[in-house]
Amino acid sequence: MRKRSSTGVIAGTFVLSLSLAACGSAGGPAAGSGGADGEIGGEITFQTWNLKNEQYTPYFEALVDAFEAEHPGTTVNWVDQPAEGYQEKLSADATAGTLPDVVDMGPEAAYTLGSAGAILDIAEADPDAESDYLDKAWEAMTFDGLGGGTYGYPWYLNTGPSFFNTALFEECGLDPDDLPETYDELFEQARTMGENCDDVSMMARLPVIETFGEYGAQLMNEDGTAYAYNDAAGVELVESFKELYEGQGLTEESLNNLQTNEVEEFKAGRLAYLQGSSYTLNDLKETAPDIYDNIAMGPRIANTAPNMYIESLVVNASSANQATAIAFAKFVTSSENQLEFAKEASVFPSSAGTLEDPYFTEEDGTPETEVRVTTAEQVGEAVVWWPPAFSGAGDAETLREQIALALLGDTSVQDALDASVQYSDERLAAGQ
Amino acid sequence: MSAVRAVRSRRRVRPGAVVQWVVIAAMFVLLAGPLVWQLSLALKGMGDDLYAKPPQLIPTDPTLSNFGDVLARVPVPRYVLNSLVVAFFVVLGNVIGATAAGYALARLRFRGRGLATAIFLIAMLVPVETVIVSQFLLVRSIALQDTLLGVALPTMVAALNILLLRNAFANIPDELEEAAVLDGANAWQRFLRVCVPQVKGVITVVAIFAFVGSWNDFLWPLLVLSSDDNYTLTVGLNRLRGTFYDDPRLIAAGTIVALVPIIVFFSFLQRYFFRGLESGGLKG
Repeated sequence: MRKRSSTGVIAGTFVLSLSLAACGSAGGPAAGSGGADGEIGGEITFQTWNLKNEQYTPYFEALVDAFEAEHPGTTVNWVDQPAEGYQEKLSADATAGTLPDVVDMGPEAAYTLGSAGAILDIAEADPDAESDYLDKAWEAMTFDGLGGGTYGYPWYLNTGPSFFNTALFEECGLDPDDLPETYDELFEQARTMGENCDDVSMMARLPVIETFGEYGAQLMNEDGTAYAYNDAAGVELVESFKELYEGQGLTEESLNNLQTNEVEEFKAGRLAYLQGSSYTLNDLKETAPDIYDNIAMGPRIANTAPNMYIESLVVNASSANQATAIAFAKFVTSSENQLEFAKEASVFPSSAGTLEDPYFTEEDGTPETEVRVTTAEQVGEAVVWWPPAFSGAGDAETLREQIALALLGDTSVQDALDASVQYSDERLAAGQ
Repeated sequence: MSAVRAVRSRRRVRPGAVVQWVVIAAMFVLLAGPLVWQLSLALKGMGDDLYAKPPQLIPTDPTLSNFGDVLARVPVPRYVLNSLVVAFFVVLGNVIGATAAGYALARLRFRGRGLATAIFLIAMLVPVETVIVSQFLLVRSIALQDTLLGVALPTMVAALNILLLRNAFANIPDELEEAAVLDGANAWQRFLRVCVPQVKGVITVVAIFAFVGSWNDFLWPLLVLSSDDNYTLTVGLNRLRGTFYDDPRLIAAGTIVALVPIIVFFSFLQRYFFRGLESGGLKG
């Protein structure tokens, strides 16, 4: 997953002004000329998110050249946006009608722009594309809340193994050869660790919505119209965290921690377990070499399917050269080009069949390859748990606050989850 | 006699002085601590463990290469120039516009003066985030998107600065201006020759606020600007963030690079700045 920005207040306002803008432009889509059947030609703008740097620039320049050579008469202007404030930039551009033709974004942003009619429903414009991608990647970009349309060509996927600091396991009376593989084992060992060590803990962050999915709670009802993670499994998950907190197995800081804090704790040697991504290994190697020497890796802990994240390419609904935009988005997300990008960026391809390439199946003995091969297997089982309508700012933050209240004993676990579900349901209803 | 007292107080430490120094030391750690830490981080090399316990302030593998990397990855001189252009518009706009408006609101009699003041007050209470999209649409409708003038425009005359100057002008004793009227000075002469020199300090404060605000702004320039060449320094330095994970040393070095011009600006104006703080609102 890309780092999520924490500009909460602003995002909400943007969504509001976006939907107002959508009302004004009555029937938003359809404005584009040509459509999927139009002729390929002319100029389009392609926007990536923080991918213009010495590492990835050569890949994208070659990609643009190859497309222009394949389709004479086309020009692709590649632009890139900085890491921070991306969601705000997208919303402002969509409101003002200055969204580029092909844009790199995750399902959460695509859902917002899709509900405002700013981006193309691909299932409608290009129904044949479905077979080119992994089913679950296509599903992840298909939004039940928006009438079942698919709002982006799936691009790269990311998931990662569990990382363990074996030195801390030994120090705190646990067996580093018997690392936790299930949530039950994880909680049990976390309690032991909390009892034996004062300044070391197994976990440093409250469960997030993906955790509920991995634990076995049902996140939303069948037709995606209401949240449901306040079920028995969801309550059980939070109860386990509460027990851990009461037994000193979870610090007070963890109530506020975000994912970046969790990674920092792990790098500082105060955290024994980290749900990583495929690039965590390189990160540890470069910025925390002492920790790197002591890590062990295992499959991602999950009762159901492990979690993964997806990035997609959406097409502007009012693009003047829609046929070219669609052709380019498909070109970038083709099997061949995704494989190339996966090699550059240590992520995983969403195109059908690409994961069977020897690059993802054959080991050569180095730890990097081992992570890649086992994680590629994991991608096979993984699910994008994050519901696209769930906002990183409002919904995720409310969930965290409610769980924190429950852990502090200010409210019961059931009440806390009910309150969080109610908040998110109201947001969901207001957005439609 | 004062020498005797000084000697005595040096021997016996007053409890008040201890508290004073403790507070000053605490403030120093609180305010300067993060900055010192950023500087130390920027100087750490690959051999340094960034997450060592306890944290090390002195780098064991000191290097200047992080600054070199910043300069290699980001066209810093170009972005500094862009930021300076924006800051120039904003400082100039505020110094001229807010001074003129402040004078009018404080010392000229005209219909709707109270209403105008109230509007500026209310404008201050509206969070920028709620109007930023309409601001963007406005700037776009006059074809200023992706220009440095478009970045500067919304903050060129800030409500807060107008009110600061209005209060400063209001504190000038009426007699001063009345005397000028008797000497035959018209409104412009009274404004420029008599009143403005009285509020120079506040104008300096306004200039510094405007400069720092414009220099540090991130979201607005990000929305307005779309081509790399036009980025201001804060937006451009965001390029130092890694795609998937960050190198904290590089980001720290970028922070220091962004800070240098502010420190230079402040040290040039600091004489006026403190004079401005002393005179603000107390004069007369």
